[in-house]
Amino acid sequence: MKRTLCVAATLVVAGCGIGGTDPAAPVDRVPELASDQQVSIVLESYNFGQAGPWTDTFTELIDAFEQAHPNIDVTAQKPQGNSANPATDTISSLQSQLTAGHAPDVVQLGFSDLDFAINELNAAPLDDLVGTDAVRANFDGDTHPYADSARTLGDWNGKTYGVPFVFSTPMLYYNKTLFAEAGLDQERAPSTWDEVATAAKAVTDATGKGGAYVDCLTKAAKDWCFQALVRSNGGRVISEDRTRLTFAEQPAVDAVTTMKGLVTDGLMPNLTQTQAVEAFSRGDLGMILESSAIQGTFLKGATGKWDLGAAAMPSFTGREAVPTNSGAALFVFASDPAKQRAAWELITFLTSERAYTTIAEKIGYLPLRTGLVDDPDGLKSWAEENPYLRPNLAQLDRMEPWVSMPGTSYLQIRDGMMEAVENAVFHGADPAESLRAKQDEVSDLLPDGDR
Amino acid sequence: MVTGTFEVVTRPVSRTVPAVRLSGWHRLRRGIVPYAYLAPAVALLVVWTYQPLAQTAYLSFHSWNLVPTSPMAAVGTANYERLLTTGELGEAVWHTVEVIAGMLPFTVAIPVVVALLVRRIRGRAQAVYRALVFAPMLVAPVAGAAVWQWLLDPSAGAVNRVLGTDLNWLNTTSTAQLSLIVITGWHVVGFAVLVVWAGMTGINPDYGDAARVDGATPGQVTRWVTLPLLSPTLAFLGLMTVLLSAQWTFPLIDTLTQGGPVGATTNVYYLLWELGFRSHDAGLAAAAGVLFFVGFIVVAALLTRLADRLTHHDD
Repeated sequence: MKRTLCVAATLVVAGCGIGGTDPAAPVDRVPELASDQQVSIVLESYNFGQAGPWTDTFTELIDAFEQAHPNIDVTAQKPQGNSANPATDTISSLQSQLTAGHAPDVVQLGFSDLDFAINELNAAPLDDLVGTDAVRANFDGDTHPYADSARTLGDWNGKTYGVPFVFSTPMLYYNKTLFAEAGLDQERAPSTWDEVATAAKAVTDATGKGGAYVDCLTKAAKDWCFQALVRSNGGRVISEDRTRLTFAEQPAVDAVTTMKGLVTDGLMPNLTQTQAVEAFSRGDLGMILESSAIQGTFLKGATGKWDLGAAAMPSFTGREAVPTNSGAALFVFASDPAKQRAAWELITFLTSERAYTTIAEKIGYLPLRTGLVDDPDGLKSWAEENPYLRPNLAQLDRMEPWVSMPGTSYLQIRDGMMEAVENAVFHGADPAESLRAKQDEVSDLLPDGDR
Repeated sequence: MVTGTFEVVTRPVSRTVPAVRLSGWHRLRRGIVPYAYLAPAVALLVVWTYQPLAQTAYLSFHSWNLVPTSPMAAVGTANYERLLTTGELGEAVWHTVEVIAGMLPFTVAIPVVVALLVRRIRGRAQAVYRALVFAPMLVAPVAGAAVWQWLLDPSAGAVNRVLGTDLNWLNTTSTAQLSLIVITGWHVVGFAVLVVWAGMTGINPDYGDAARVDGATPGQVTRWVTLPLLSPTLAFLGLMTVLLSAQWTFPLIDTLTQGGPVGATTNVYYLLWELGFRSHDAGLAAAAGVLFFVGFIVVAALLTRLADRLTHHDD
């Protein structure tokens, strides 16, 4: 009897303390800050998670912002967690902080998290917060507007929630020195996957070093450039209306099979993302398909030892390559009006002409205000000296968005898909079988699936 | 050797009928005293153990992403069905069994050998050896992991150079688990040696002396006196290994492989953590938690029964 009572009491207690409260209230327009109104906000960005060019550049930008806005105090922090790639920790870190009731005010989130950030985590709609005109004015900029393909990447149902901030398209970086040793033309990078295989074979045969690494095929790489590979082969990983997964269909299977071929032929070493980036930086790898976010690291490794070359993403023979974007947008999670306004001020500063000049030069991310490249006060002289930017900019024009997976289990869908790809490419599984089994399994996790 | 049994002391029951019936208040006060003594412990137990346990059970029938502003939806047994129908859970359990089996040499066999060998050394050298064996335990797991990462590097790592291989140890499905077991074993072996050492110190030397007087060789003394008397310690280590191995590997998995490649090193705790704090699927994680809880209760019960049968106590 007493035991039953005790259990009953425990169960009653169990109900308290967990569970959701009311959804967030609709967002009103936030007033401008008075000039003497002191506000402090928190910026969470994975750019602070890696020492070197990333942290230095962003610390510099925040300092400049605080000087321009003496009444706003910005605390910059990296996402909580200890992944090798801090960009992997963004959403779990934000979610933990939301759970604890103290969300950072401005958060840099990947485009893969778009649906979830807006529909589940309630990122603030910027059009409601500061007005559509202000949002548009920011995209138009003082002198150089955003590239058309970039403007709407953070939109949902016609409203802007995230301001696209830093991203790249998939770039084929190659080691010119190894190319020369292998008797290849240093100035002519492979433009198809067949040519990549030929060049990789030449490099491994002549130098004994790794041929090529495609950083789009593991769970850690996420799915941004895997989507590009599948799109380049005429397929999609998810149907256009985002209700049906299609990553087990023939175009995707063929793309994965081509990549697996590089591994079985000994042209692509079995490396983790971190190992591949380190190997390429050391000069131990002929080519790597990678985001330009890592360009700074490559240049640092190359200086004085080998020459870095960059080219557009290779295509499948007979088709045109379809690049997608990597990267992230800036979202507002502040709930206090003053903080929301300060957050918007910070976002406009970080996406200004001046900020993009710094970001492009120091990190290698695309200047989304593309006109800067022809502006003598902007990036003109820098772009002429650095041949790495042009192929990336050229891809920006015909780029397609990195599509986020739908629903609350979107990460399990994305990671499940990438695990199946990784299993097929690097660990011997059959591409068709592996993708099919995973697609059947995770399709249940779609919002209108069985679950 | 002191064993962990408790004497049950029955409360002396007074057989005399009180002359005057106690008033209700007095009866209540007398009745409440034992509960009052228990209250602090029970309260803590309820707050820190039973309440979270009940909450977990409650959550396991819901779908919720842990965000306070999003609603919690009741989904019945869907979470359990999903866990039991997809292969993930089964694989994680199998990986956990692998880890436990792989850890036993490091927590039982090697420590016994080391402790027996170190026992022969006298004086300061013994202290030095013991310190050396224990040292890895003092290295923070994450720091140790970083060093192992270098050692196991596919192109420049010392392990490949020594063995003459070109394996990417941590990123190959067949070797990642083995690597993690060896690294975890290296880390906890010092602790296990310490436990065995403590067990040996607890053995009364008179038994060994008596055996030697009767003409037993050192080997016979070890086999027939020391090891049987050490059996409770070894059973304890075995139990620890079974129940905690998967937890010991956690920081290493998180630093070195993140459960990969393709889930090859995802054990039950890592799966739980991934579901709960990577995917933020509180319901699914809770359901997995409940299943593991039940599973480990059964394992622990079996092991304690087994331990009672197999061990030899110096009563």
